[in-house]
Amino acid sequence: MVQDLLESSAGLFNFGIFFILAVILLFVILGFVTMAILAERKVLGFMQGRYGPSHVGGKWGLLQSVADVVKLLVKEDLIPKAADRPLFIIAPVIAFAPSFMVMATIPLTDKLQFADLNVGVLYYVAVSGLTIVGMLMAGWASNNKYSLLGGMRAAAQMISYEIPLVMSVLGVILLSGSLSLNDIVETQRESGWFILWQPIAFIVFFIAATAELNRVPFDLAEAENELVAGFHTEYSGFRWAMFMLAEYVYMFAMSALITVIFLGGWLPLPFMGFIPGAVWFALKFSVVVYILIWFRATFPRIRADQLMEFAWKVLLPVALGNIFLTALIKEIFLK
Amino acid sequence: MTLTGEFFAFMSLALVAVIGGVLLLNLTKVIHMVVALVFTFVSIAGIYVLLSAEFVAVVQVMIYSGAITIIMLFGIMLTRHHGEEAEPKGGGLRKLLLFLGVLGFGAAVYLGIYDLNFEAVPNTLHENNTEQIGISLYSQYIIPFELTSVILLVALVGAIVLARKDDEKEGDKE
Repeated sequence: MVQDLLESSAGLFNFGIFFILAVILLFVILGFVTMAILAERKVLGFMQGRYGPSHVGGKWGLLQSVADVVKLLVKEDLIPKAADRPLFIIAPVIAFAPSFMVMATIPLTDKLQFADLNVGVLYYVAVSGLTIVGMLMAGWASNNKYSLLGGMRAAAQMISYEIPLVMSVLGVILLSGSLSLNDIVETQRESGWFILWQPIAFIVFFIAATAELNRVPFDLAEAENELVAGFHTEYSGFRWAMFMLAEYVYMFAMSALITVIFLGGWLPLPFMGFIPGAVWFALKFSVVVYILIWFRATFPRIRADQLMEFAWKVLLPVALGNIFLTALIKEIFLK
Repeated sequence: MTLTGEFFAFMSLALVAVIGGVLLLNLTKVIHMVVALVFTFVSIAGIYVLLSAEFVAVVQVMIYSGAITIIMLFGIMLTRHHGEEAEPKGGGLRKLLLFLGVLGFGAAVYLGIYDLNFEAVPNTLHENNTEQIGISLYSQYIIPFELTSVILLVALVGAIVLARKDDEKEGDKE
């Protein structure tokens, strides 16, 4: 359906359809974000031997995140007097907009997708890089030393970890012969999931993805016990909510990307094809999100110098070696 | 001229690019200039998409989002942000010369572009352009490509040599 729409002529009617579809996607993502925050708190509680949210919305605390969001939205909008006002206002927008833009290319099933770009993987990495600009702007515009430190750390970390992220995907791209996410999934239909063929790439990608998401153990940019809160120290109310939203939308997008590239997307396990693809996608996706939350509960934060050394002296050489190995294997065995 | 979606897209992207460029020249704070630059680069990437060169567009965004962030860091660390000293404005003669220069440049570009006529050659460059770029880069242009990487490597080594501190001397000073 979407393919026909994409090839049809431009007009107000088609624009309306796209607009409505985009709004639906936005609401799906907002629904995911509320549930993800709840899940994060519940799982953390489970791992730390406590209950987590358990009052608002029944025994499971189902409405806790909704209540939190409503509280954030009705809060007073504070802008510090010494802040750089225009930048302070525009920074959350620049940080959030790319996170929603990357969602357009991620195929949830073979039919359920907005745009099948032939450079899907690169598009994700490129557009998500724009968020760094927003974070650095926020850190600068707040006119606060902790914010600026947090912004600087975020910039250094995300630029460094983008490189192993791309390099590790290259192995997969060598095997599938395409940058399009749909083609990558279709290749896995015949050859098996890429986590089996590219275990090194998977590990490097997962670590770099955690760092790109600014999550524990790589949450130096928002280390609350060193930097108050990092680049969004001075933000409150709905502007702060925009940053949090961007963070969780990236968690959605990155988990979906890992599912698509390494775990076969919507492809079923053998002999279980009677379960629809969307369910398979949701299952694998949930496992990835769970592992990310698990990381948060179990790892300590690493030091800033260890962070940089790990990216440049461990992850990057390993990813390069993986590319070399994959090229060799492809040339010798798969020709 | 027909009003198509492509025309609207091109005009809005071009407008954002030009406004970004003008703001880059006119704003006074370094960080504001860099933000204007972001808008220019992103809308130029959008124009590449309109020309169905997705690969170039994506690479444009990927390279420049990192580069702009670095420029921003340099802007924060290497410039002063306290004293708002107004620069002395030039006299009337300088403004006149500037105006003449702008006029001359405009006229030259106008004359150059006005009669320019590209023959519309039907080609297949828009199909699988990533693959086509890769193939021509690694067959026809392999030597310039490798030479470029050597130059980049030299620049990288140079930067490391400049940035590296002599540990022993540092230790002596303290």
